[in-house]
Amino acid sequence: MSQFRRALAISFKDIESYYGKPPLITWGLLFPAVLILSLYVKDPATYLAIAPGIIAMTLLFGNTSMAAIVVTFEKRAGTFQRLLLAPLSMRTIVLGKTASASVYGIATALALFLGLKFALGMPLVNPVLLLAGLILGAGIFSLLGLAAAVMVREVFEAMTLMNFVRFPILFISGVFMPLSQMPPWLKPLALMSPLTYVVELLHLGVTGRSDFATPVIPLLASLVFFLASWVLAEIMFRRRAYS
Amino acid sequence: MESTPAIAVSGLSKSFGSLQALSEVSFSVPRGEIFAYLGPNGAGKTTTIRILAGLLPRDDGEVSICGTDVARDPVVVKERIGVVPDESNLYPELTCRRNLEYLGELYGLARGVRAQKAAELLSFFGLKDRGTTPFGALSKGLKRRLTIAAALVHDPEVVFLDEPTSGLDVPSARALRELIRTINRQGATVFLTTHNLQEAEALSQRVLILIKGRVAALGTPAEIRQRVQGLNLLAVTFSAEIEAAPLLRACPAVLQASRRNGTWRLEILETHAALEQLVAFAGGAGVRISEVSAVTASLEDAFMSFLKEGGPEAEALP
Repeated sequence: MSQFRRALAISFKDIESYYGKPPLITWGLLFPAVLILSLYVKDPATYLAIAPGIIAMTLLFGNTSMAAIVVTFEKRAGTFQRLLLAPLSMRTIVLGKTASASVYGIATALALFLGLKFALGMPLVNPVLLLAGLILGAGIFSLLGLAAAVMVREVFEAMTLMNFVRFPILFISGVFMPLSQMPPWLKPLALMSPLTYVVELLHLGVTGRSDFATPVIPLLASLVFFLASWVLAEIMFRRRAYS
Repeated sequence: MESTPAIAVSGLSKSFGSLQALSEVSFSVPRGEIFAYLGPNGAGKTTTIRILAGLLPRDDGEVSICGTDVARDPVVVKERIGVVPDESNLYPELTCRRNLEYLGELYGLARGVRAQKAAELLSFFGLKDRGTTPFGALSKGLKRRLTIAAALVHDPEVVFLDEPTSGLDVPSARALRELIRTINRQGATVFLTTHNLQEAEALSQRVLILIKGRVAALGTPAEIRQRVQGLNLLAVTFSAEIEAAPLLRACPAVLQASRRNGTWRLEILETHAALEQLVAFAGGAGVRISEVSAVTASLEDAFMSFLKEGGPEAEALP
């Protein structure tokens, strides 16, 4: 319990120092909002086929970037050493850093969704699945950002490293094209991407439609990806955080 | 448990690739002592602190803080130590008070306790009116003070200070030394690394000299000075400016010459011959010898002597 409270302290401090800053919030909101509005202006009847995917894409880019930037920045400034000197387990540090980055991702995605709901009348069929998609997506992508951050020294190195992963999975994960319309050779790859399941959960939440027979599949798959990302981040922190 | 030493290190070794940073380092620091850990750059001082603070794994040996093995239970050890790194590394965007309170949270202090502790430390370190100033806006000296204050927020039993006065002006360094004494008087064991040997001599009860990762000497400053008593030193003042090179050429009995505050400090082979040669040199150079006195070896002389020998085999003094 004591370690949990310390993780909360790390999260609150990070939100206060980094995530709560207006430029960051507006960047996280404006980029996807403009993209979705463009789609809506082009064709109000079909924008919903892509809007949930764009919200998922925002989570992917926002959370991996922010989690990595915060850790790399603190490593450069020497302040990350304060966490390593304090009586904190590595799990506590990972939890604290992930929670703050996830809160940022979920809050901006929710604000975006609410804005679109009021402005464009975006539907909300299943709020539980929408929230599950946001929480799991934000968690997975924050953890991957953290894992990348401890492997490098500079922010640009973290971004380069993650771009090798982010752009390919953006292409294969059904953000711009539903799974059912993908060429058969691409489908197995899509099923290996965590973004695929996050996109599906958001589609289920917003429109109620999905390419999977049951919501249990994307839900369980996202959970498995979340746990795997957690294990990866914790292993990377144990091995590399002190270097 | 009070009888267990604050720090016990036995056979500590650490290498980075082919570089042997620490080799069979052993020492023990009793509770309540100020212990100075000295050595030239690259001797292994910071590596030792990083291992003692649980930031770096050791290759071999035993390390315990207040009876707890650092590698086995790092969280328990970190609860009991405070570390002041060689660079002041608090959060620049947070105010002084918030920095202290945040670190208090990381050490598990309750809200009321950490607020009170932050206020106490700000007052103790002369930063009472800087509570709302961001850390990044402080001067170097004040940053150093707050970094030390941050290491004390949880009342640690052992405080590691890595070059605490490095880069500070004379009044700030003097004020910090007084604060270190006060921290020690209040019960904390202080493990100090510094390049300032006068500071080490003034502050510490015992000193360890580390050269090339090995213990070159360990004892009180007086004991260490005694080990180089065979060293012949003269302090000589000339009536006018002279250069070291012609002096050393003209006086073979003078082994080394360094000048401090207008007085030459000469390491000599034998007194009579050195004096004769100095008088002859002064006559030839057209200057007079204004003052000559024999000098007792300081900790700095002892340190330089050990360094010149390349680090004698470890020999702990009683």
